[in-house]
Amino acid sequence: MFAAGLKCPGCGSSNIVDDDLYCQAQLVCVDCGTVVSEGTLADDPVGGTDVSYSRTTAVTKKPCLNLIKGLERVKEMCRILRLNGEIEDLALTYFRQAYQQESFINVTLQRKEVLAGCCVYVSCRQRNWPITLGTISSLLDADQTLVGGVYQEMIKILNIQAPFINIADVIGAHVQEYKISAQHVTKELAEDSKVLTKRAVALVELAGDSWIVTGRRPLPIMMAATYLAWQSLNPNKHRLRLSLDKFCHLAKVQKRNPAVTRITELKEVLCKLGRELPWVRETVTQDDVVRLVGDILEHRHTLLTRALRTHETAMQADCSQASALNFPTEEVAPSQRSESRDQTADASSVVQLCPTDRMENQEGDDSHQTEDPEPNWGKRVLFAPPCVIHAKRRREEPPVLNVTGDEEISDSEIDSYIRTPQEARDFALMQKAVSSSDSGNS
Amino acid sequence: MDSNNDEALDIIVTNVVATFRTRCHLNLRKIALEGTNVIYKPEVGKVLMKLRKPKITASIWSSGKIICTGATSEEEAKLGARRLARCLQKLGFKVRFSAFRVVNVLAVCSMPFAVHLVDFTKNNRPIASYEPELHPAATYRIKNLKATVQVFSTGSLTVTGPNVQSVASAVEYIYPLLYECQKPRCK
Repeated sequence: MFAAGLKCPGCGSSNIVDDDLYCQAQLVCVDCGTVVSEGTLADDPVGGTDVSYSRTTAVTKKPCLNLIKGLERVKEMCRILRLNGEIEDLALTYFRQAYQQESFINVTLQRKEVLAGCCVYVSCRQRNWPITLGTISSLLDADQTLVGGVYQEMIKILNIQAPFINIADVIGAHVQEYKISAQHVTKELAEDSKVLTKRAVALVELAGDSWIVTGRRPLPIMMAATYLAWQSLNPNKHRLRLSLDKFCHLAKVQKRNPAVTRITELKEVLCKLGRELPWVRETVTQDDVVRLVGDILEHRHTLLTRALRTHETAMQADCSQASALNFPTEEVAPSQRSESRDQTADASSVVQLCPTDRMENQEGDDSHQTEDPEPNWGKRVLFAPPCVIHAKRRREEPPVLNVTGDEEISDSEIDSYIRTPQEARDFALMQKAVSSSDSGNS
Repeated sequence: MDSNNDEALDIIVTNVVATFRTRCHLNLRKIALEGTNVIYKPEVGKVLMKLRKPKITASIWSSGKIICTGATSEEEAKLGARRLARCLQKLGFKVRFSAFRVVNVLAVCSMPFAVHLVDFTKNNRPIASYEPELHPAATYRIKNLKATVQVFSTGSLTVTGPNVQSVASAVEYIYPLLYECQKPRCK
């Protein structure tokens, strides 16, 4: 039998016969006797074809497996979040587009999954569906900074823009998570979620007006607003006694630590407004203010204008006092810029405040003030961000040397050893001890 | 200093990063054993040397490349770098001070008004970007100056750029854009 189309590697003849004598079928060349085991004379080269599959011009290319998995993940996330079809389609389009880009094609699987989450997030933002990055990162079980980084990259590469979410929209979804309706807890502690949402939204808006929301993470603020709304809707002793910890335990949500600070800040703002209520006789403290929250929120715009007016008159009274006391130091103050002279600078800026205030009052803001970094505007205004009210004092800087950079550096200067304060103290004590022992001896 | 009004804005330079080369190989072990105020980091392959006056921290690599951080002005950075090179000379290396270059300058500045970040970002897309959940400030990158400005809603700015001049120009550039989107400090 001739094996057609084969050539012997030894002599090149095509006289190859199939030798079936032994168990293993062999191909043997008739002319030179070379025995070649089966398969070697086959047309296919050893180890597969020369051209890899991805480089062939094969028309029907199967899509990448990870792309399919990613698309499935996007669909799954949309189903969990119960998003409508439009958002889902948009997310799938974005994912396909982003997947083509080289910065997302040869990355770890985790990053691809995070990319899927970011596509969902961007589509929600663009269709005005309220959702936070925190929700997405908890769905993906990934670190929020990683999600943030992938999100920024994706936005830059795909060149898309996402409108900003309003925290008041998100809070509706947030309040749904709290299990404090009548079926979950006792009647005294139960609250309807719609009513709760409404009051929480009002609280969040108030917080937004008074600098509590700016620059902070949204989740603790929402938690604080929900807690205060719940307490104030029915301020009986059961609710007032429950701390945030127990409330979160009751509602089966995870407590966020910054929420405690937010509650304090919100209560402070509410106290400032509560003082303006005309039917409140005694002073408003942080403990009592919860009962008044309903009234405060109902009339908050009026109370706000009243509070600002009271504050302005108080400031003017202060400054006229200050100008009477600090007149001699007025000339000295402008020449000094160092931070240790905080008090005088404060007085000088207050003095400057009064004339301008009389010129452009009824605005209550200090936008045309000469900028003085030391007396922060947090002390002068009724509502200011907490970071400005409790500003970190900048470390006292040593006086700037008049350096040109080209000075000659002498050897003695390099070798000089500067003592630390501890060493200086020890040295002084030792000197004293030595001198006292000397005088004792002599 | 400002084109808009007569007040001068205080731009405080908080950090200057500079690099230079010593044009010779440095034996890190010798520096670590014989130098004063040094920290040896063999896992990274560098030595940190801290100078007291001016207050500078330098990362020294064995190739002879040195990065100095912590200075508060460009001149101070150069003085500190030269002092450092002198210290290394005293240790016995044939150091030549060359290729001194200020790489980065970080400054802070405070506007006399608060800024409405959402409006600012909307007016300046795509140069400005703001993600409140990720970072409380809006980032504005000025391409021709190669400077980045981070604007906080309280009106504070942090500016980074390749030199002090670019930082000052960046503040001047961004001032009118911020002025448009200012927010009255209490409502």
